[in-house]
Amino acid sequence: MKIRQQYILTIFSIILFLGCTKDEVEGPLINDIYGFFEITQPLNISNKNPDFSINEVVKFQMGFNKNIDWKISITGLVSGSNNVITGFSNSLDSNVNIWSGNTSQYPFFEQENCLVELSFLNESDTIRDTIEIAGTKLYDDGFMVVDFENGFPADAFNKPQGGNTLATFVVADDMPLLGNNYFQMGGMINYDWALGKIEFKLDYSANSISSSSDDFYLNLGILADTTELHTGQFVNVLISESDAPFDADNNGVADIFDNNEEVYKLKLYVDWEGWKLISIRYSDFVATNSTAGVVFERNPNDIKGMRIACQACPSGGANPSCPENLDRFVRTDLDHIIFTENNPFFEIITNIVDDTWNKN
Amino acid sequence: MHKIYYIIFTVILTSSQFTSIAQQEKVWFGGLARSYFVRDANSFENDSTSAKNSSLGYNLIDLNTHINPLKDIEIFAQLRISNEFGSFFGSGTDIVVRQLTAKGVLAKKIKFSVGDLFLKQNKFTLNNNDEELPFFNSGFSSTYRDIVHYENFYLDNRWRLQGLQTDFSYEFDRFIETIEFDFFITRPRGSSSIGNGITQSDMLISGGTMTSKISKNLTFESNYINLFEVPSSGNTDISLRNPVLQGGLTYQNETSKAIFKQNIQSGFSKRGWLQFDSLTNQSIGMFSELSSSYFKIDSSFSFSIGGRYVDPNFRSSGSQTRRIDMREDNYNSIYPNYSNEQISRPITAFDIVTDATIYNQDLSPTLMSFNPMYSNSLPYGDATPNRVGVFTNIDFLTANNFLELNFNSSYLQEVIGQGTKEKRNFLFLSGNSKLNLHEALNTNKKLILSVSFINETTNRSGTTSEQIVLNSKHLDFSTDIEMLENVFLQLGLKKVNSVGNEFLTERIEFGEISTFNKINYNQIDNLYSLGLKYKFRPNVYMNLQYNWWGTNFNDINVSDFKYQRLLFIFSVKL
Repeated sequence: MKIRQQYILTIFSIILFLGCTKDEVEGPLINDIYGFFEITQPLNISNKNPDFSINEVVKFQMGFNKNIDWKISITGLVSGSNNVITGFSNSLDSNVNIWSGNTSQYPFFEQENCLVELSFLNESDTIRDTIEIAGTKLYDDGFMVVDFENGFPADAFNKPQGGNTLATFVVADDMPLLGNNYFQMGGMINYDWALGKIEFKLDYSANSISSSSDDFYLNLGILADTTELHTGQFVNVLISESDAPFDADNNGVADIFDNNEEVYKLKLYVDWEGWKLISIRYSDFVATNSTAGVVFERNPNDIKGMRIACQACPSGGANPSCPENLDRFVRTDLDHIIFTENNPFFEIITNIVDDTWNKN
Repeated sequence: MHKIYYIIFTVILTSSQFTSIAQQEKVWFGGLARSYFVRDANSFENDSTSAKNSSLGYNLIDLNTHINPLKDIEIFAQLRISNEFGSFFGSGTDIVVRQLTAKGVLAKKIKFSVGDLFLKQNKFTLNNNDEELPFFNSGFSSTYRDIVHYENFYLDNRWRLQGLQTDFSYEFDRFIETIEFDFFITRPRGSSSIGNGITQSDMLISGGTMTSKISKNLTFESNYINLFEVPSSGNTDISLRNPVLQGGLTYQNETSKAIFKQNIQSGFSKRGWLQFDSLTNQSIGMFSELSSSYFKIDSSFSFSIGGRYVDPNFRSSGSQTRRIDMREDNYNSIYPNYSNEQISRPITAFDIVTDATIYNQDLSPTLMSFNPMYSNSLPYGDATPNRVGVFTNIDFLTANNFLELNFNSSYLQEVIGQGTKEKRNFLFLSGNSKLNLHEALNTNKKLILSVSFINETTNRSGTTSEQIVLNSKHLDFSTDIEMLENVFLQLGLKKVNSVGNEFLTERIEFGEISTFNKINYNQIDNLYSLGLKYKFRPNVYMNLQYNWWGTNFNDINVSDFKYQRLLFIFSVKL
């Protein structure tokens, strides 16, 4: 090849280099960081008079010129209940940003007018509108474990600890979460951890639950003391998928939570005052320590029982780990324990302690 | 002061004696001696907190000992004796071993070196790229440059590493003419505790080069390098892997008057962190470069043109590590804080020219910070990732050496946008001229004038928040006028002016961009110099300089600064 031809070929190849660019972006969008915020499509609320009791929903739609942290706050003007929806996007998608009448914090919404406020991080703009609730949401569309409306279930076990001389462990009606009744679970044992437990026999094998453990939720309300909160109190929630008989030895304690069974557990510190609404993803439960050979398949259809144990850090006795709680009453009352598929009733919590050995 | 000159004189005398003996005793000496004194003063109003002036200085001798115990073995040791001004000899005197190397030839076939190595491969695999503000032929700043480069072991774009190197070659009588191999393994960083019971792993770098002359005209070269950590030597459970492979062909035609070269090369890199058994934060990238060159054999003219593509994910620690990390905590040694608020003084043109302590000697597995004002198109050298474009270079020298000209240009574009689909465009123009006026005037006394400039423009279109317009101009002027025999009057000026806006990238520890910081420039760095230089020999000189320097930010919220310096250097290179 002659020198001139070599140069022509080189220059031609170099020109080809210039076309080697891509329509991709490295790093966060500058427009999101430094761009002026503008609303490109006004807020559209699909239903301003929803009846949540017949599963109506409210859909939100809006467009912005950049991705931004946004927050929709819905506040009941009578109940004071509040629900918050947050996100980071350049639009409110009516297929995603939906309110079904649920609440982020107790109390529940009533048939009332609600103030809708849409705000944006680091922007002064706040958009306001109102919604009038025609019917409140019913929290019974799921697989009810227990709501205590008919008292304590006859096939369930209620086992306060022997030394818990001030044990409650009774169905009460003075401050229910929903309906008329709730279950008081507490008491006082200064020298020991366990205050007692309740166990429910369940069987969903006939219900054909199609969702996986990632889309299967346990929903419940837990009431803690509003005065002199015991700072070391917690509940252990155990779910068993064992095929063994619920109480094979008829001793009043379920056997399906034993070490050689397929059991999932979480530990939840009850460190708030009043009612708290909780939803927990079943897949966030942790497989417990078991004897060798136990197969953990985690299938909501195979759930056979639930144990909820009340415990508190000892404040006295031989090992006073929490002396500041001496003679404080432990209160981890429960209401409306229900499984749901695909949609949790409340805010999903994730601060679960991986403590799989203690089942009492 | 007299004592140190006495010592220098003794060393020079002794070394020359030993050199003559060396032919018999197989021991010879070389080295460097330097006396250095500076007095800095601040001369602006709104700094009553900092000292008005300060001075420092030192004497040092680097004694190079070469021992040849056998014909094919050489032991080299560089011993530094230094003494800061203000301390007495004995106390305040440091004696350190600065370099230790053993090298030789095994069985008259395989060369090896152990100890301190100065390594360089291809500019995409292992290359110590030049710093910002090239010094051109500037007389006054070359005094500083020599110290900065010497103190940081910068030698011909090589990285100084410690380890083992070997090379050997074969010659053939058919198919190919020669094949040469070069291999090395070094340890840039040893394992060490970084607190909280955490031990950082050993970092090693290994590589090899194979060069083969396939025919009279055709040469093939391939380089491989791998920077990695040895997980078992630490307890961090995470270790770096950064292999880079390059291959290239060069075709050369020679006539009686000129050489024509065509070069094509390409390669790829992989970088990731091994966490337990899987690689995390992995990035794979490639590069390609094509160039043509024309050289006149009498060196009077050369021209080259080329195109280059470097992928956004191309990561090569050995060739992308910068000499200066422009991060905020890389403090200047001269007035690191200034103004009554004692704010941190940024690295400016004077610091880049004079301050050896801001320079880096360690390879970095992630991209280091840079200041777009001083270099924006290629802050990581030719291996800068996310660039595609063309470049040219022209060198010209008149027959009587009266005029030397060099002209560089490049037009580059980002391959993908940063923070937007819009891409930055970079236009870089640089010219350097040196006029040896004494050649034209036909005088015995030298009269040299150098003028150099850089004009670098960055543009990006897009929305108002995405747009970038940044223009940086660097001007360098110097003269060396021989007033008396070997006595030179030096006048110099260096000015860097940057106007516009840019976005600085912030990256997480694994190199991904986390955010952008918008920054506006309207900054002027000035450096003026007046000096006298007496040259005993080309490498033995005495230099007295007075520098006026400062920075004007043109921002009412940022204080400007202005300083002066008196410099004295006596340098003897053996």
